[in-house]
Amino acid sequence: MSSQPNTAQDLPMSSPQPSAAPEAPTASGESNPIRDAIGEAIAEHKVILFMKGTPEAPACGFSARTVAALQSLDVPFAAVDILPDPRLRQELSAISNWPTIPQLFANGELVGGCDIVVEMYESGELAEALQ
Amino acid sequence: MPSPEEIKQRIEAAIPGAAAEVEDYTGAGDHFRATVTATAFEGRSRIQQHRLVYEIFGAEIGGPIHALSLKTQSPQ
Repeated sequence: MSSQPNTAQDLPMSSPQPSAAPEAPTASGESNPIRDAIGEAIAEHKVILFMKGTPEAPACGFSARTVAALQSLDVPFAAVDILPDPRLRQELSAISNWPTIPQLFANGELVGGCDIVVEMYESGELAEALQ
Repeated sequence: MPSPEEIKQRIEAAIPGAAAEVEDYTGAGDHFRATVTATAFEGRSRIQQHRLVYEIFGAEIGGPIHALSLKTQSPQ
């Protein structure tokens, strides 16, 4: 189980959907549908991974290793492919203050990128962090 | 294109007391792996430690530095 496609309607949850991208980000202070959709997705999913590609077909080795760690713990997680729209990555990094992909969130908080997730998996901390 | 030595020097210059080991693990000059040891990491979460290093490079991460894989630790 890796996707819950009916939430976060503007995000490419696991399987990229036909483009329904909101308008381009506007000047600060105005509405920002992409940022709002990302924030809602993080709030709505206990464990959510923003990655390149999908859990079934990761498009980057770092995303693949992060998915493998989650799958080996048998933790259900939502996944968002950030590749279809470069604004997803921009807005995600603006929210998280984290420059790289993948990014794993649990309970609304950034757990880390690939290095931290794999390190926590190897030390046994990851399962606890995802509870 | 940054060299491992340049990245090492920038990390050590930016974080007082840091010791960094940096390797170019693909040989292509854009994927790096760094192990950074610094007293500045004490009392900080892993995320905060990694942010300290990422902040040195700003928009270069994802640009000329396609990947910077990190392992951070405080001195034993």
